[in-house]
Amino acid sequence: MSPLPGVGVDEVTMIASEIFTALVDHRTALLTPWPDGPVAVTDPVHAWVDLSTEPSSRVQLMTGAETAADLTRAFLRMDATEPVQEADLVDAFGEMANVFGGNIKALLARHVEITLPQVSRQPPSDAGAVQLLEVPLAWRGHQPGLPHRPLVISLWRI
Amino acid sequence: MRALVIDDSRTMRHIVADILEELGFSTTQAGNGREALDLLEAGETYDLACIDWNMPVMDGFEFVAAVHARPEWRDLTLIMVTTEGELGQIVRALTAGAHEYVIKPFTSDAIASKLQLLGLLPAGEPI
Repeated sequence: MSPLPGVGVDEVTMIASEIFTALVDHRTALLTPWPDGPVAVTDPVHAWVDLSTEPSSRVQLMTGAETAADLTRAFLRMDATEPVQEADLVDAFGEMANVFGGNIKALLARHVEITLPQVSRQPPSDAGAVQLLEVPLAWRGHQPGLPHRPLVISLWRI
Repeated sequence: MRALVIDDSRTMRHIVADILEELGFSTTQAGNGREALDLLEAGETYDLACIDWNMPVMDGFEFVAAVHARPEWRDLTLIMVTTEGELGQIVRALTAGAHEYVIKPFTSDAIASKLQLLGLLPAGEPI
């Protein structure tokens, strides 16, 4: 049985859309479902929070380093050419995982605790972790002339 | 009007402070409840505190309870800005002394409307 009952692709996609519309793209919906085809993430960055469900679960975000930097610029309303410090990238992408996890948590019937977010160039290493769901999305992917920017959201039983 | 923005995320502090400054507040930032309490105990005064819930060192609930326990700080308006969207957690925050709450992700309109409800922005003013 999933530790995250009632949390499916639709719920994950809706939460992602709300977060990006409110905090990243400032009222413009620029996050779309990933089009058909494989998702290739270059130089991946991972951010995650864990939930004290029974058994424990994880909400994990992954994107490429270049996209994570652009997300940070959008989050912090920086100029498109402004250099992004690693600390800002870690903080912004981690906060995105935190907001994401909090909204997943709010869908659960009983109270659970959420950890502070972690961000790493390496995926979390938990032997026995089982992926429950993976939702690939494209950020700013529908704008003509721009390549799809993958953001992969996954839920895990850990 | 002076506002204290309390969040362990620099990103979120930046976003909330930007919104408040656009609404006419001057802002000070603190990375957790303990840092914020230190400012208050040093004699700094604020009209509003926007507080994250889930923070290291001292979380938002502990900060709200600490402020509520000090009569001299009763005029400080407390808004929880949090991902804690569960009804039970919201009730817990309000019971501890928070005056309002805003759930992340939020828009500037959401914060402005809460400030209008609390009388910190003129009612009916375009947001």
